[in-house]
Amino acid sequence: MARYSELALALVAVIGITLLYGGHVRAVAVPAAGGLLGHSLGILGFTMMLMTETLYSLRKRAMRRPRGTMRSWLRFHIFTGIVGPYLVVLHSAWSFNGLAGALTAMTVVVVASGFVGRYIYTAVPRTADGVVIEAQDLQLLLDAARQEVAQPSPAVGTSPGPGRSREQARRRLRELERQMAALRWARRMLATWHTIHIPLGMALFVMAVAHIGAAMYYATLLR
Amino acid sequence: MRRPLGCMTFSALVTTILVVIAIAAAAATTGNGIFSPGSLSGVARGGPIEGVRSHAELASRCDVCHATAFSGDRMADRCLACHTQVQQEISSGGGLHGRFAAADDCRGCHTDHRGVTASLTLANPSAFPHDRVGYALRAHPLRAEGGSFGCLDCHPGSPTSFAPPVCLPCHEARDHPYMAQHVETLGSACLNCHDGIDSYGASFDHATYPLTGGHEEPLCGACHQGATTLLALRATETECVACHTPDDVHDGRLGNACGECHTPATWANASIDHDRTRFPLVGRHVGALCESCHVDRHWTGIGLTCRGCHAADDPHAGQFAGDCARCHAAAGWGDVTFDHAQTGFALRGGHASPACAACHPNGRYVGTPTSCIGCHAGDDSHRGAFGRNCAACHKVTRWEDWTFDHARSSFPLTGAHRGVSCQRCHGGGTYQGTPSTCSACHARPASHGTVLSGGCGSCHSTKAWTPASFDGPHPFPMTHGGAGGSCAKCHPSSLTSYSCTRCHSRADMTEHHKEVSGFSMTTCVKCHPKPKQED
Repeated sequence: MARYSELALALVAVIGITLLYGGHVRAVAVPAAGGLLGHSLGILGFTMMLMTETLYSLRKRAMRRPRGTMRSWLRFHIFTGIVGPYLVVLHSAWSFNGLAGALTAMTVVVVASGFVGRYIYTAVPRTADGVVIEAQDLQLLLDAARQEVAQPSPAVGTSPGPGRSREQARRRLRELERQMAALRWARRMLATWHTIHIPLGMALFVMAVAHIGAAMYYATLLR
Repeated sequence: MRRPLGCMTFSALVTTILVVIAIAAAAATTGNGIFSPGSLSGVARGGPIEGVRSHAELASRCDVCHATAFSGDRMADRCLACHTQVQQEISSGGGLHGRFAAADDCRGCHTDHRGVTASLTLANPSAFPHDRVGYALRAHPLRAEGGSFGCLDCHPGSPTSFAPPVCLPCHEARDHPYMAQHVETLGSACLNCHDGIDSYGASFDHATYPLTGGHEEPLCGACHQGATTLLALRATETECVACHTPDDVHDGRLGNACGECHTPATWANASIDHDRTRFPLVGRHVGALCESCHVDRHWTGIGLTCRGCHAADDPHAGQFAGDCARCHAAAGWGDVTFDHAQTGFALRGGHASPACAACHPNGRYVGTPTSCIGCHAGDDSHRGAFGRNCAACHKVTRWEDWTFDHARSSFPLTGAHRGVSCQRCHGGGTYQGTPSTCSACHARPASHGTVLSGGCGSCHSTKAWTPASFDGPHPFPMTHGGAGGSCAKCHPSSLTSYSCTRCHSRADMTEHHKEVSGFSMTTCVKCHPKPKQED
């Protein structure tokens, strides 16, 4: 369960938000996109989406003074990546007209894409702290494993046992070979996904900026 | 070397450019329509304005409502540019919009882009400050049949218009008899009186004129006759006579302050505080029936005199012209507090205790004599001998206290007469006619013989019998022998006899008269009518 804790947290947040939203709908009405609550949903959701898009990416590139583990940032990325778009969808007030409607749809698409990417991403082998194991590193580990398997058994008493050590080396080798194969597949898939997901994300943010600009222009500056 | 952000890929940059171009193109082709959050309302209200019947007909003419940047206009200015009637309402302060006076906030209630069939008005009935249009919805929380009110329930034509009869169907359904009477009495212009805040119905707090007692039952119109506006209702007179003049059994004789005697409970059982009148009820008057004085329910003009009511009760048969209260207290006729001194005949002494009837028999008071004899003729032990003025001798305390001044009679008592008892002179109780001569009481002494024939007073005073003074005539010089008026010198035993022997000794005289025959010492004057030296 700990492995999916960010999903659980996101699910809890979504359920909580849904209950509050449903209560408001039942008691008052669907919060209009331009109302106080609707605007708040949109602003908070978009802020979370921005955090989704930027914080994890910045952490990945923060080599000198990294703060927090990559895994923690990924979990935060996943949490905000689910809850933020959900708030944005609620901000739409279930109206999908014009640019705002396309923006909502694009949000759903990018989130769906993100889910796919997340599972492709988890297929990439990584060390205990979540750092992606580079193919070169993996190759070195693989070579060492092959060499270990090929070596004769060490002297009695210096190792757990010749049979057991060799067997462990073989299992390690098989694992590394499997990881190597998976890494190749994952890298291809990840590359493909990046090719699709990142332009979608950029399109989403461009549309969002246009939407925000138009809203501020028409609904704020020209009130 | 810092790696570029993951989004800074070639495809991402191309996509960004393409999306920007697409948005710009779409905006250009749709007249910025892509930024519309929804379709404009196609709901048409009223006539067309400049040929436009609904916002939907504006299509992509965003600038009709959305002023261009830097034009200085706000959206409300754009709204009012078309909706001039609303502008007039706001300017004049009339109508629905005039009362809200928020000319720069059309969007507070109106918005668009919510669909073709959506209303332009977002007014939330539960939050709409309905009281600002002159009618609060406080008394209309729920419909009689349940559920909340909708605008169209009361504004079937338009939320901006209101026709008062629309109230009647609901309220008649709730209480038809009352409403029928209510409308008949007060009319159907509900808003003339009702503002939705105060209830003037069955639960109206009639505190300004509490409806108690007999005022609980009558219909409103009984007092609020002809009043069809709140001002008229409030102007209803609160004086009793405003409504009850026809009921006034006193025919206005008692004025208009009905409440001084009557309560709203009922006209009967009036409780007048007689102390507030000029005739406070005390004594026997407290328990008397009102009608015993106020005959035929005449409450005024009764008069304040006793005779006003008690003329027939006067046992004195009108003898006393004054008011009864001079003698009688209100506690009862028997409680008499008469000051007899007022009559000039103060009751003192023995007059204080007898019953009135002793002097005033048969209830006769006027004309009662004030002389003693007027009442005491029968008591006169003198049998009228002293006349009618008893007080000349007797005091008022009792008969026995008398002080007779004999000097007032023809025989003032002087000398020894003062110490003599009355009976000595007035034997038998007879006083009148008592002779005033000395001899009537004093017998002539034998010693006076016939010599002293004059009255006693010739010689005696009342001081005493003796010494008496005799001044003659005396047949013999009274100065003889140095008698000097002393009778006893010559009349030692009786004035009718004399004796010369006290000076002329019998032996000498015998010797001297031995030659006189028939000499006797008792008949000296026969020979010597005058003394010798005086012969």
